[in-house]
Amino acid sequence: MSIAEESKNGVESSASPKVGSRRRAATAQSMAAQQRDISVSEFFVKNRHMLGFDNPRKALLTTVKEAVDNSLDACEEAHILPEMWVRIEPTGAQKFRVGVQDNGPGILKKQIPLIFGKLLYGSKFHRLRQSRGQQGIGISAAGMYGVQTTGKPVKILSKVGQKSPIHFYEIQIDTKKNKPEILNGKGEGIDIPIGEKGREYIEKNGIEWVDMDHGTRVTIELEARYQRGKGSVDEYLQQTAIANPHVTIHYTDPEGNSTTYARATDRMPAEPREIKPHPYGVELGQLAIMLKDTTEPTLSSFLCNCFSRVSPGIARQICEAAKLSTRSRTTRIGQREADSLYQAIQATKISNPSTDCICPIGEDLILKGLRQVVPGEFYTAATRPPAVYRGNPFQIEVGLAYGGEAATQNITHDLLSDLLEETDLRTVRQFLINTFNGLGAETADRIVHNARLGSRQSPSRLKPKEVEALLHALTSVSLSEGQTMEVLRYANRVPLQFQHGACAITQTILGTNWKSYGLSQSRGSLPRGPITVMVHIASVWVPFTSQSKEAVASYPEIQKELRLALQAAGRRLGVFLRRRNRVRQEGERRNLFLRYLGEVATAVSNINQTDRKQLYGQLVDVAKKRTSDADLRLDDRGRRVEDDPEDEEFGENVIIVRPEDALQSLLKNAPAPPTASPGEKVRGSKKSDSTSRKSEGTEEEFDSDE
Amino acid sequence: MAKKKKTVAATLPTAPKVAVVLTDKDKKTMSSIMTLANGVNEAAGRKREPSVDIPSRTLSNVKYNASKRILEMGNSTNRRQLFNLTQAKSYMQTLLVANGCKGLIDAGKTTSIRGLYYAVKHTIEGTKEETFNEQVECDPIIEDVEVLLSSLREELHLFAKKKGDMVGQLVLQDSGSTIDCSQMGSGGYGIPSIVEPEIIKFVRCKAKFVLHVEKDTVWQRFNEDRFWEKHNCILTHGGGQPTRGVRRLLYRLNNELKLPVYCVLDNDPWGYYIYSVIKQGSINLAFESKRMAVPEAKYIGLRSIDYDRCNLSESVIIRLNENDRKRAKQIKQYPWFEKKKAWQKEIDKMLENDFKLEVEALIQKGISYVTEEYVPLRLQEQDWLD
Repeated sequence: MSIAEESKNGVESSASPKVGSRRRAATAQSMAAQQRDISVSEFFVKNRHMLGFDNPRKALLTTVKEAVDNSLDACEEAHILPEMWVRIEPTGAQKFRVGVQDNGPGILKKQIPLIFGKLLYGSKFHRLRQSRGQQGIGISAAGMYGVQTTGKPVKILSKVGQKSPIHFYEIQIDTKKNKPEILNGKGEGIDIPIGEKGREYIEKNGIEWVDMDHGTRVTIELEARYQRGKGSVDEYLQQTAIANPHVTIHYTDPEGNSTTYARATDRMPAEPREIKPHPYGVELGQLAIMLKDTTEPTLSSFLCNCFSRVSPGIARQICEAAKLSTRSRTTRIGQREADSLYQAIQATKISNPSTDCICPIGEDLILKGLRQVVPGEFYTAATRPPAVYRGNPFQIEVGLAYGGEAATQNITHDLLSDLLEETDLRTVRQFLINTFNGLGAETADRIVHNARLGSRQSPSRLKPKEVEALLHALTSVSLSEGQTMEVLRYANRVPLQFQHGACAITQTILGTNWKSYGLSQSRGSLPRGPITVMVHIASVWVPFTSQSKEAVASYPEIQKELRLALQAAGRRLGVFLRRRNRVRQEGERRNLFLRYLGEVATAVSNINQTDRKQLYGQLVDVAKKRTSDADLRLDDRGRRVEDDPEDEEFGENVIIVRPEDALQSLLKNAPAPPTASPGEKVRGSKKSDSTSRKSEGTEEEFDSDE
Repeated sequence: MAKKKKTVAATLPTAPKVAVVLTDKDKKTMSSIMTLANGVNEAAGRKREPSVDIPSRTLSNVKYNASKRILEMGNSTNRRQLFNLTQAKSYMQTLLVANGCKGLIDAGKTTSIRGLYYAVKHTIEGTKEETFNEQVECDPIIEDVEVLLSSLREELHLFAKKKGDMVGQLVLQDSGSTIDCSQMGSGGYGIPSIVEPEIIKFVRCKAKFVLHVEKDTVWQRFNEDRFWEKHNCILTHGGGQPTRGVRRLLYRLNNELKLPVYCVLDNDPWGYYIYSVIKQGSINLAFESKRMAVPEAKYIGLRSIDYDRCNLSESVIIRLNENDRKRAKQIKQYPWFEKKKAWQKEIDKMLENDFKLEVEALIQKGISYVTEEYVPLRLQEQDWLD
């Protein structure tokens, strides 16, 4: 709608000089006539890439993401264990309907239009508190995008309590005024009553609603493209499940397949506390605004009450350094005084902000989350104590999973054909690299070679036989050599899926020497191996490099904490890998001996006519004794290993899954049970619970003894 | 397991139908093979790890006996263990070779080392691994077995490929046939791998000395010019590094017939080392020095000074490469060269020249310059290195 208007305007204005006989120079008056307010909404219509709507594929992801993030924030704030329903349905060519419902507290009727229909309206921007959303742009921008591309309004249903009706709104944004426009119920919205009547109404009007006491559902129809693989909705939800083990997500993809990520814990994350800004984190302009807005009478009380960690003593120091009186009135502070005040703040030593406003996921929950979603045989997590950058407290957590099968190993024929159809990449090689996480170019080459496909073959034009060959190659080519580390980045529990190169997290991982932890790594690239690393930065204000919130800025303080956390996790992995290596070597050694023993026994019995069988038996006995001998235990650097591996110190928070158990749980998970409806994949608590309960005895958990 | 036994038995020479009479030497060899095998039983019976101690065949375990002027093997041994990752396979191979040799002795036959390689090569049951992948893997194991059992190769009923020829004023008997080495035409008498007195007996010798040249191309020159006739000598070559057969023959000619041995070799580190091997034995086979080394052997040429002495042109020189220089410096430091001033000077001169010369280079001075002038002159002037 507005796009059309816009383009019409454009045509007119560019055409008018041609129509006129002589091109008239603009005067101050004529220019003034064209100078007017730009509404935020209008600005973002033109610059929608800033909000993550650069292309249809990303638009879909961003829409889901904003809705889910908002829901999770709302639920957590209301102390409700979040349960989400995400449904994506195709409604036409390149058109999808995205419905996201939560069991949150619901939204008051009068707030609904503002929250969903006005940009930059929200509760999170003005406070310093750890939350997923920050500005209050996301969901309304998604709605705006939807309205623009499909013309369909955003539908919101919300219910605040068991006894209250469901508020139902159809909204679109008036981009010029940055105001919501309510379409249904004569601009007032509709209240769907509770009980039978309401149910009938919902059914009659084809409204989607999962019945519950309270919650909100937002449905946006938009132009989009659905594609699996890197940067997809599926990936986002999976990663969200890892970092939010207290959340249950029911997800229905456009093909009607349902996946459920069940919560791994019933414990809510601790509630983040809101803090006042720290003086170091305030820019000059912001300081001036705060001075203007404050109701505090004197400078001293302003500094003490509007900032954290400023005592009257500190306030006096600041004022002295700024050559201002502690008693000077805040209303009298002008530009120059603000400037010297700002300089004085930087020069004054102020203790770091309190860090208890940060709530990390926690090592045990990271382990649970990872374990739930990422297959592997070794899991560890490390949390750094909180630290501070530019006056903002933050905390780094790292989770690491090693081993297990790769995505390529358990792909089905149908899924592969679908993926091949969906992709718009030009070559099979690119398709492989982009679809499967952690698949390096090298491995992709090997798979293509193994499948006997041409290097420049188009993935969408493969013949059935070639698809078959590709599938075989995918499952048969060993990935562990060419596989590279998969990096999951999170900021305040929200997965970051794009711009990994610009992100401090990726940069720090690249800069860490993983070789010392038993992984192979070429210079300047990610380490190789079946390894997944999740990195979480929790902060009251995460420094993103851009508005689309996809990369964390590289503050030295943040990088240092990242490095230390990665190293802590890496060290534990190193211990595990060395130990596993040794066990493997031991096994190989025994095999090797056994292989040659037969030959030796034969030769000896041939020479001196002794009983071959007896000699062989004796030699095998010696071999067994020998290979279990402790003095032979050398690690991969040839050093002697002191003690029994069971006593080895891994540190806390490590889970090791024995291969047998992993296989067992795999076998349990892999084939769909006959009772479950086809197409339903449950990665749920039920199953893993039963397996983990079963394997309790065999699973070694190293918890802190202190 | 039974299946494996069958395969092994099939590849090895089966026990003879006709009883073979073992010679005393054979009996001795057999008993040492037996001791080796019994050692395994004994260790296994006592739950110990079987191992063998193989005299080490490295430079560090070689001593130059200045009074005998030969290389002798020292006492250090390398323990080869079955239960050691890096040694398990070679331990197994050692026993396979011993078993193979036992089969040969039982059958009263000899075979080439390549033949033995095939006899003991098979796929290890249940794997895709071969006991031996290539002959080069087998040859050092055979040498190990030789030193381990202190039996010579021929005592293990093995021989190597024939290499090297002989022509000259000598009549000998080889396995019953009488051979007149002055009647060998252009091809010469191929020196067998085993030249023990049981096989080769010297019948008549008119020659006054032995001239050993490095390779057959040079040897052809001397033979065509009938050098051996004119100078009344025996002419041999070893095709590069002389085999044990050639060296043993030189030893016997020198030791039994008291013929001095003169060498004409290329002027390069290789030539020096060939001379060194003939004269005092090789490092690898130091245990055989006492029956192969010819401490009397003299080095006639080519010398580093020959470029100037014979007035050669620059087009025949070959520049030394890094490898040559390194090798030359190594040789220079061998104890048996270290104390010989003439040799130190010789090697220094070559390093200073920074080029090497092949014997064939002398053809620049005339096709038969080497046979008609170079060697006769040196012999006449007794101008050689010792």
